[in-house]
Amino acid sequence: MTILTRLLGSSALLASAVLATQALPAEPITILINTSPWYGGFEALVEKYEADTGNKVSIDAVPLGGLLEKARNAVRGPSGNYDIVNLSNAWVVEFYAGNYLTPLTDIDPTFSFGDNIIDADGLLYWNKDKQWPMKHGGVPMAFSPNANTHLWYYRTDQIEKPPETWDDVLKTCRSKGGEVDYSVVLRGARGNPIRFAFSTYMLSFGGSIEKDAPNGDFTVTFNSPEVKHALELYIKLAKECGPPNPGSIDQGEMIQYLVSGKAKQAGIVVAAQAQMDDPEKSAVVGKISYTVTPRPADGANRDVWGSWQMGIPANVPAERKRAAMEFIKYFQSDDAQTYYAEAGGIPVSRTVLEGPLSEQEKFRWMRPYSQASRYAKQLLQYQEGAEIEQIIGLRLNQALIGELSVDDALNTAATEIHDVFVRTGRRTGLLPPLQ
Amino acid sequence: MASTLVSKTAVPGCAQQQSAASSRVTRVLDLFDRHFRLITIAPAALLILSLTVAPAIELVRMAGAKIAFTNDGVERTAALAENIDRLANDWIYWRALLNTLVFVITSTLAELVLGLVLALAAQRMTRAKGIVRTLMLIPILIPPVAIGNMWRLMYNPEFGIIAYLVDQVAGVRLDMLGSTSTALLAVIIVDVWHWTPFMFLILLAGLEGLPEEVMQASHLDGANSLQRLRFIVLPMLWPAIAVAFVFRSIGAFKVFDQIYLLTSGGPGVSTEVLSLYVFKVFFQNNELGYGALLSLVTIAIVCSYLAVFRIAQRRKGAL
Repeated sequence: MTILTRLLGSSALLASAVLATQALPAEPITILINTSPWYGGFEALVEKYEADTGNKVSIDAVPLGGLLEKARNAVRGPSGNYDIVNLSNAWVVEFYAGNYLTPLTDIDPTFSFGDNIIDADGLLYWNKDKQWPMKHGGVPMAFSPNANTHLWYYRTDQIEKPPETWDDVLKTCRSKGGEVDYSVVLRGARGNPIRFAFSTYMLSFGGSIEKDAPNGDFTVTFNSPEVKHALELYIKLAKECGPPNPGSIDQGEMIQYLVSGKAKQAGIVVAAQAQMDDPEKSAVVGKISYTVTPRPADGANRDVWGSWQMGIPANVPAERKRAAMEFIKYFQSDDAQTYYAEAGGIPVSRTVLEGPLSEQEKFRWMRPYSQASRYAKQLLQYQEGAEIEQIIGLRLNQALIGELSVDDALNTAATEIHDVFVRTGRRTGLLPPLQ
Repeated sequence: MASTLVSKTAVPGCAQQQSAASSRVTRVLDLFDRHFRLITIAPAALLILSLTVAPAIELVRMAGAKIAFTNDGVERTAALAENIDRLANDWIYWRALLNTLVFVITSTLAELVLGLVLALAAQRMTRAKGIVRTLMLIPILIPPVAIGNMWRLMYNPEFGIIAYLVDQVAGVRLDMLGSTSTALLAVIIVDVWHWTPFMFLILLAGLEGLPEEVMQASHLDGANSLQRLRFIVLPMLWPAIAVAFVFRSIGAFKVFDQIYLLTSGGPGVSTEVLSLYVFKVFFQNNELGYGALLSLVTIAIVCSYLAVFRIAQRRKGAL
């Protein structure tokens, strides 16, 4: 045997060994996920993944209300049942900061998100030094199955052209008439619903909750004139253009108003779009179109993320982590993202959101969604976030139902938020009260 | 030989030992006889104690701390004074307590009165009493989650049957869950619908257990229906009423799922109740230490309420 023959033989052996390893199916994995409106698309994608790769995936789909505790219990023990857990943006910092998730590059050092993948304002990354979710200086921690921000849903048979500014919305409100009962429906229920929905208005007026939290300045800015203008507009729209008693309206009711033909327009998360064209659920099939959430006449379009993140727990064996990683890599491919969209999911690939699919009538929501994804922000990404959301959600609700004036609601909320930051030892301060 | 000698010299000591052993056995048996009940009940008592006292002790420990979970373990830092100070200034908790007391007293009394009326009516029935009893069970059998969703739809001001009927009769679009002045009443109505059958069943069983001779004697003495109810039935039914009232009060204190689904405590804080608020602090805000303190205070409040009722019951017994 010559050296060349030996080398060739060894290479052939090595190549066949590598091929054999690749052909072997990965370890079966189990995914914990919520049964949100886009779940059907995810389930279809998992079936396709199994068919394409021969790998096995079990899904534990639970209602949203039970997801957090199940995820917490799964990651806190010495060994976990779930290889991927799906987490809301409101909880994800708790899991990142607690080291409960494995950085994706620890499993596959070559991994990175494509430039076309929406990272939901950096929430897919964790900067350990700053203890903040951000791409700069951060490591990839999770993949988003739905980044989820608002779209402005409007009736094309009632509104001639998509409203660009809040003034346009008010104009449609004042031109009442026809068979539609309400011009605008707003989300006003206490807690997360009103806090999340109002954030879009607040950001569009240049308002904020705290000054510069990523850089450690937690000075409370929630009682600024900008936030006041936003809240005044929110209440005006709710009172003048919407159904009575807006303080109890949540997303379910907003969708009901739209699909039953009782409302002309509403700002709802993108995930609800599938219900508008479902003939079994909707009386307005083909009559709803989408644009980005309007802006003040002299302001810019802004929005807020309500994203979902899939992470790999630290307490599962290395082989299962690798298998989970295989699934995540598959999920971000353009083919998988296209299939996911066709099956009812909300893709996070801009290549898909702005590609040929978006030209189809069925996917008319894709382009405005992609547009909004370029400026949408994450809020409350710190350990006190949940408590502050409760404060804001209550005070905004009280202002909406008339229990507090706008000034009192914002001043009280600001003081309460400040108290929380003082208690937790943040560098904080307060603006002078609104008068 | 040597062993025989040893054996012989050991005999008196052996007898003493045997006698001592026998007296020890007798003492143990005596002890066992005297404390038979205590010894036999001890394993069960220990089990119950370990299942109730141990978690309670852990709750007390948690209440005095700030707790953070990380992958490296649980971090506890002492924060009793901070937690107590926070509780003293936590106006939502005190508002939730007020709402809970209104909810408990109103719903339990309404269920008691309705349950009693229905039980008295059912007792007089000569036919189909079994069917009525079975039908009355239905609301208790429906899961609270289904009840919450069902009533939320019925209360819906645009699509709900209640709003529709009120609109037809009074020409007003009623939004009971959306208004701060009616939201608590709306959740009380749901609770009354859900739990009146429970009162009915207990009170009907109590009524059927009343001695027939006393009723006949009151008849012969010329007592009318109201007098029989006031002076015969209610006093004799008092133990059943007390049991039903206590059980329902405890249940009403723990109300969670219905309110969570119907209003989540809103609008404003008009339907915030203790269980819901403790849940939010514990599981949404993830503040385990402060949540534990709220749980302890809530347990103390429920115990105080039951103690007041017990004292009132004793006084009534003394009268």
